[in-house]
Amino acid sequence: MTTTLETPLVDTIDPEIIAKLESRADEIAQGASMSRSTAALLALGSIPIALGALAKDAYGQTPSDVLDVLQFALLLEYLEAEFYNKGIAGNGLIDAADRTIFTTIAAHENQHVAALQSLITGKGATPGAKPNFDFTAKGNLPGFNFSAGQYESFKALAMAFEDTGVRAYKGQAPRLINDKAALTAALSIHSVEARHAAMIRRLRGKKGWISNNSRDDLPSFTQGIYDGEDNASQNGVAISTLPDASNNGGVAAYTEAFDEPLTKAQVTAIVTPFLA
Amino acid sequence: MSERPKLILADAGMLGSVRTRRDALKVMAMGGVLVFLPAALTACGKDDPTSPINTVPNTGKALTIDFAKGDIAVLQFAYALEQLEADFYTKVVASFGSSNLSAAEKAVLQDIKYHEVLHRELFKAALGAANGFTATPTYPGVNFNDRLSVLNTAKTFEDLGVAAYNGAAQYLSSTDYLTLAGKIVSVEARHASAIRDLLNPKSGDFAPNTFDNAFKPATVAAAAQGFIVDKLTFANPPASFVQGPNNNG
Repeated sequence: MTTTLETPLVDTIDPEIIAKLESRADEIAQGASMSRSTAALLALGSIPIALGALAKDAYGQTPSDVLDVLQFALLLEYLEAEFYNKGIAGNGLIDAADRTIFTTIAAHENQHVAALQSLITGKGATPGAKPNFDFTAKGNLPGFNFSAGQYESFKALAMAFEDTGVRAYKGQAPRLINDKAALTAALSIHSVEARHAAMIRRLRGKKGWISNNSRDDLPSFTQGIYDGEDNASQNGVAISTLPDASNNGGVAAYTEAFDEPLTKAQVTAIVTPFLA
Repeated sequence: MSERPKLILADAGMLGSVRTRRDALKVMAMGGVLVFLPAALTACGKDDPTSPINTVPNTGKALTIDFAKGDIAVLQFAYALEQLEADFYTKVVASFGSSNLSAAEKAVLQDIKYHEVLHRELFKAALGAANGFTATPTYPGVNFNDRLSVLNTAKTFEDLGVAAYNGAAQYLSSTDYLTLAGKIVSVEARHASAIRDLLNPKSGDFAPNTFDNAFKPATVAAAAQGFIVDKLTFANPPASFVQGPNNNG
């Protein structure tokens, strides 16, 4: 890459990696006058391929990226788990006929929390603590507190959270591309969130999939969850130009057939009103 | 002396095709035998112009996916599955007039048919003529007029699709293709959930596992082969597979 001449390669390497290498390099440097970072690079010996794979920016993903994704996913799972736990505990909130659906989802979300905590711990880091949540979304849902008679609001929030979760995981997957175990685990959660989303949408009398950028009947403060879902061009191809596209549902179907990712910043903006 | 070569014919009409006739002559020249499958002879008469000639899974041309092609192979693998799904739902929709599906079920299946055809066509465009191919699906035992038969087959395909994308993603080196796969797999999961809801409403069946399965391509191919006439084969298959949380791929 062209910036190598101006930018010492050591500066492009993730600091966490350097720190680990330095501690190993200390054992072999034996008081030589070289810098600790240089010793760290020498400790790598003749494996420039590994170096390249670890270089930040030039190659995109580093272990700290993976941890950042896992911590971010954990925050979303905390939000969902607490939401459903409170829903199940809410006396008279959930229609008796629908209770199995929500106990199923709640169990999944709590186990997703545990799995992410375990993945983070397994990488030598500490899982972030659960924040306090505000399920009125800073007053956007005034008085919502999981009480009897609030079932419609509860289902609406569930749809918002699940559709957000699907888009959030999808947006983070590329940052996991070099960590196959984390990638496969995240994808195995991602599609379960999509199953939840479709179920709740259907429970609300909606299609299981997102048409255009429609939030359906959700309140306007949720629109960010659906912005961009009207993308009708994939892999550089306008879906309308595909053979027989016009016989297959029109623009609504073009957008339903592909869920869209959200960036971390977009998801953060969606979630922030729910942080107490 | 090894067993005599055999050519299994699902339909006497197969002898009418140039390729099969050549194969038959070759087999006969080697002292082999032609085997006609009796069920196929009656179930799949050549007087039905829409019926494929060969409907027996794993008896057609080799359909080889060469993983030395890297990301292209993963797209080809997805393309084969999307061809199967798109063809299935096209037949489901074409059978609406004679099936006992409810109006609500038809609405769901009609949407899914649109989505799967669009997936297929997108992969076809992405792969181009050089890397494209036509897979020939078949549906042994499926009754397109029967809602339970249709919905259970749909469930099988959607769950398999989810597990296939979840497992194959690890072989992609392009983040753009990884995102594309992500855009599709969550729609397949939405389909799976809706189909399962139709089959077993108000239960937990829409999401039967805390984590969805992630299957290695060979596992997916073995399951899909039961619905594909061509012989699915892999060249240079990936040497390793990183299991998902269910550790069953």
